[in-house]
Amino acid sequence: MKVIGKIEYDRYLKGERLPHFRTLSGIEMKEFYDRGDIAQDPSNPGTFPFTRGVYPDMYRGRLWTRRQQSGFGSPLESNHLIHFLLSKGMTGLNIDFDIPTKLGLDPDHPLAEGDVGLVGTSMATIEDMETLFQGIPLDKVSSTLIVNPPYSAIIMAMYYLVAKKQGVDASKLIGTIMNCAITQLVGPTYQSGTHFFPLDPAIKIACDVMEYCLQHSPRWNILNVNPRNIRESGVNAVQEVAFAFCLAKEYIRRLLDRGLEIDRFAPRIAFFASVHIDFLEEIAKLRTMRRIWAHLMKDTFGAKDPRSWMCRIAVQTSSLPLTAQQPFNNIVRAAIQTLAAVLGGCQSVHTTSYDEGYALPTEEAQVLAIRTQQVIAYETGVCRTADPLGGSYTIEKLTDELEGRVLNLMDVIEKKGGFLECFKSQWIEEQLNEARYEYGRQLEEGELIQIGVNMEREEEEELKINIFRQTSDMQEKRIRYIRDYKQSRNGVQIKRVLDKLYHHVRHHPDENFLPAILEAVEHKATLGEISDTLREAYDFKVHYV
Amino acid sequence: MQKSKRILIGKVGLDGHDNGIRIVSKWLADAGFEVIYLGLYNTPDGVVKAVLQEHADIIGCSFLGGEHLFYCRKLLALLRQQGLEDKKLVVGGVVPPDDVKVLKEMGVSAIFTPGTMRDTILRKVNELLEED
Repeated sequence: MKVIGKIEYDRYLKGERLPHFRTLSGIEMKEFYDRGDIAQDPSNPGTFPFTRGVYPDMYRGRLWTRRQQSGFGSPLESNHLIHFLLSKGMTGLNIDFDIPTKLGLDPDHPLAEGDVGLVGTSMATIEDMETLFQGIPLDKVSSTLIVNPPYSAIIMAMYYLVAKKQGVDASKLIGTIMNCAITQLVGPTYQSGTHFFPLDPAIKIACDVMEYCLQHSPRWNILNVNPRNIRESGVNAVQEVAFAFCLAKEYIRRLLDRGLEIDRFAPRIAFFASVHIDFLEEIAKLRTMRRIWAHLMKDTFGAKDPRSWMCRIAVQTSSLPLTAQQPFNNIVRAAIQTLAAVLGGCQSVHTTSYDEGYALPTEEAQVLAIRTQQVIAYETGVCRTADPLGGSYTIEKLTDELEGRVLNLMDVIEKKGGFLECFKSQWIEEQLNEARYEYGRQLEEGELIQIGVNMEREEEEELKINIFRQTSDMQEKRIRYIRDYKQSRNGVQIKRVLDKLYHHVRHHPDENFLPAILEAVEHKATLGEISDTLREAYDFKVHYV
Repeated sequence: MQKSKRILIGKVGLDGHDNGIRIVSKWLADAGFEVIYLGLYNTPDGVVKAVLQEHADIIGCSFLGGEHLFYCRKLLALLRQQGLEDKKLVVGGVVPPDDVKVLKEMGVSAIFTPGTMRDTILRKVNELLEED
């Protein structure tokens, strides 16, 4: 029998109190808010600056997309998982690739073997992409492809070629390529953004992808700056939004420099935000994002098309508040985070699974995540009217307060030369590390409470949940597959297309590389080979001991 | 004999998640350890070379992507090959309970999973230094 701890009667007598009344980003909240706290009533949903939502009817018109991130092991295993999740109520795809793919390494690369297929699907060949999307009509299901440049160019080329094989015209493709050079791996840490490919060429190639997709696929989203990953590296809500928007401005300036009109591409840019556990602040954050973006597009960049003003936000609930201790508590946390995402008016949600602290989610955990969203959508009634919290003194005040803080920080970044300059000088890295140390301190000193970690902790806790397991020979099989694949091809032809790509990059560095990459993929060059060719063309070597 | 308080810390493999390892490095440094931080994307060979150069007694690695068994096996084998069995390997990150056992059997000296508090880590690392 378990010994029950000493009951602290004092605690009941005195009444429990919070350690403080600050939000996660440090806003000191007042005892209560009233009319005097609100500068002005927000405009209606669907009208500029969209604080209350990008559509007038919001979820009455259509519910958000239930878009669970999926992918592990081989493309075939991931294909089965996608079909399973679609059959269980997922309404959009969110394909994650493994780290070797996101770093442009084939499974047989000496650096890759230990990481193949672990946290996403392994993807090296055009055949892999066909397998991944077997039985999935690319004009009927929207896909988010979680991949960074320059590899986003190769993945996009594969996707185009699979669409062609399926008989789906490029103009009919619906979905998103994440395509951000800095935030897509693990947030804006310097080494992750520079170790495997030079930064400026990666951004150039990101813009190539955007330009190509704009020309061929008008319904395709060309860029998804990833505030979520920024947030997951430890910073607060204000930094999350300010960093993401300053980074988005960098891409916009580059597209404008290419002679593209703002209204040609702004409607195809979206964001992938985090929603942490600070319920009110996170709702306010999503509202703030829309307001700032609308003004930025209209006032700074002169966009005239209302679609350019709309900040469309995908959400993945944050993993940071989830704990390995007492994992069932995470089901509660994720439900509250998902509710915040919905009350904040986002366009799609990935609800993070309760087993996050142990491994990739099991199938049962993923289904529970989908069910969580369905309970909120169909049972709670929060979708019956657009922005039900609009006009709440507290929410409106927090929205204003966050807006002011985000704009101030954006100003600081611009004065330092913009996001890229701050990233290259490692100022961003310093901000991340300071935030992490501060997070550690708050948790240690009890300013930040995590139930099961620094409150109500059970020592010697026994884990009662199932844990996801990869099949034991998955990596070995993938490595064998890619070796066989490489041997089965016409080597002369591969050399020819790769040489052509190399010369293209060397001699026409300002042209769009997508056509040459498409040709290489079509002729069976692998993701790693194309990446290596690009590295060589830029005189870049991956450094390792 | 009390060993030096030099500890080598780095990510091995391609996983780039470094929140935890950064925080733990800071805690160790604040507690008087000399932390040699290797950053991301180290190979097992690279780590062992650094151990030789830096004369560290403890090696701390973190894994959040499920690659812990693969790389710990390699690291420990390399340390043995180099006659460095006395160096202690400490692991942090996302490790399922069954694998905690496997890592311990393999020879990993301590495993700190998410939610481990600072004092627990410092106490354990100090104990490892005092062990012969």
